[in-house]
Amino acid sequence: MTPPAGGTPLLALDGVGISFGGLRAVDDLTFSVAPGEIKGLIGPNGAGKTTVFNMITGVYEPTDGRIHFAGEDITGRPPHRVAGSGILRTFQTIRLFAGMTVLENVLAGQHLRTRQTWWQSLLATPAQRREEAELVDRTMTTLERLDLATVAHETATSLPYGMQRRVELARTLVADPKLLILDEPAAGLNDKESSALNETIRSIRDSGITILLVEHDMNVVMNVTDSIVVINFGKKIAEGGPAEIQSDPAVIEAYLGQDDEEAIA
Amino acid sequence: MVASRRTPWVALRRAVGPLLWLLGLLVPILLNGSWISIMAIFAIYAMVALSQDIVLGRAGMYDMGHAVYFGVGAYVTAILNTQFGWPIFVTWPVAIVAAALIGALLSAPIVKLRGDYLLVATIGFNIIFVLALGNNVANLTGGPDGIFGVGVPHLFGWALSSQGTLFYLDWLALAAVLLLMRNLERSRIGRVFRYLKEDELAATTLGVNARNYKILAFAIGAGIAGAAGTLFAVQLASVSPGSFVFTESVTLFAIVLVGGQASIPGVLLGTALMFVVPQVFRGLAQYRYFAFGIAMIVVMVLRPQGIWPRGRAR
Repeated sequence: MTPPAGGTPLLALDGVGISFGGLRAVDDLTFSVAPGEIKGLIGPNGAGKTTVFNMITGVYEPTDGRIHFAGEDITGRPPHRVAGSGILRTFQTIRLFAGMTVLENVLAGQHLRTRQTWWQSLLATPAQRREEAELVDRTMTTLERLDLATVAHETATSLPYGMQRRVELARTLVADPKLLILDEPAAGLNDKESSALNETIRSIRDSGITILLVEHDMNVVMNVTDSIVVINFGKKIAEGGPAEIQSDPAVIEAYLGQDDEEAIA
Repeated sequence: MVASRRTPWVALRRAVGPLLWLLGLLVPILLNGSWISIMAIFAIYAMVALSQDIVLGRAGMYDMGHAVYFGVGAYVTAILNTQFGWPIFVTWPVAIVAAALIGALLSAPIVKLRGDYLLVATIGFNIIFVLALGNNVANLTGGPDGIFGVGVPHLFGWALSSQGTLFYLDWLALAAVLLLMRNLERSRIGRVFRYLKEDELAATTLGVNARNYKILAFAIGAGIAGAAGTLFAVQLASVSPGSFVFTESVTLFAIVLVGGQASIPGVLLGTALMFVVPQVFRGLAQYRYFAFGIAMIVVMVLRPQGIWPRGRAR
């Protein structure tokens, strides 16, 4: 499913670059993500993939180039405002709120749609209590969808790894993102879990959410993405559909040229 | 929250707090004068410790200058009452708002600092605050001796002058603060404070404006401390800089850590250990800090989550 050519992209990076001290981590990177697409961003270790995500989500401010989202320039916006415009993300190393239950963790994803003011929070007004009940209901619906309802009251960080990944995903999904950015969602999952993840990612896309993902697991990358951008040493070296990418000489060299890291599937 | 976990055991556990509070109402009837004032002081310090817990235990900011806000509340009431003749029930809300505003103003430039740096900055605030009070700022704070002759509150022409009635005022105020704390647990801001403590980056990528919420935590904590400060000025009928020095802030900080962060019973227990238990062993009262010092070491080594840690689910 290739997106219609010439359509307005949902996300567009234009000549984006960033330097840390003397290190050019990402250089002149241009690519776009069409609405409804599942885009993969791959590259050998240290290629700068997570840095790209951090620039899109406002964690880092790019030193060059512009990032546009849904027609707006979001370059350099702080992370909470990027989230406000509809970009939500997961992390390469899971970042759950320790010591809080699954429900409390996933409620965080509803922060932006919560209306109660600070004084309503403190005084527990009837409207505030109603809203809390609605938030919990809506969160539970998402937990059911991701098969987490039975552990809603468990401490999130005490769950098995695969489940923690799902909790993090649930936390972004309750926020109704326009663009979901997944940073190595299959990392640490077993084969069964990673196949299930493929299904989950497709069903998220089918519910109308555009997805940009970094992944090392080629089973996931080749099976779920519509198109792929390959970067190495912070530069784009190829872009295209999964089949094209697998036979692209530059890509093969980038992967095989490395000390026998994972070969492309 | 959601159904489940509403077992009789939970219901019983939930009733313990309110029952203890009701039991406290008997204090002026059953106990002598010195105990009434000990329990009144306990109620006041419990409010301050709970407010410290909002900033430290919940929002996770190492505020070691919390006595400043307690002091602002006490001095605002003392000054307005003694110099301008304002009734206590008028100075009280002013003291709360003043403390909250100062909390917001002082925290605004420092909330972006990392834990240890923020801690040092708050100590700086505390030192400057006490220095200013001692230097008789604007001829209002009365210098090192402070201000004497703070009046008693009047309610509909009735003076709350006896120890017993003052105790009831403090005890009611404590109940109000406990209700606020309970509401906080079940609200967006209470959750956001804890998100920020556990993982600020994750919270901001979910849309949380970290800076605003951290300032809000300071403002709410300071406002409650200011409310307690007013009661403190009334209880002692005077204020002096010595009550709001840096070591008082350290004590409040330690009460939260020793009792249990973000745990209401833990913080109350910590306050009781610090302010009530020494009175039971009168002859040993001068060893108060010694005993609490030992408790701080032992608890941090053996039970770093505090004596009565926060329960997992509510």
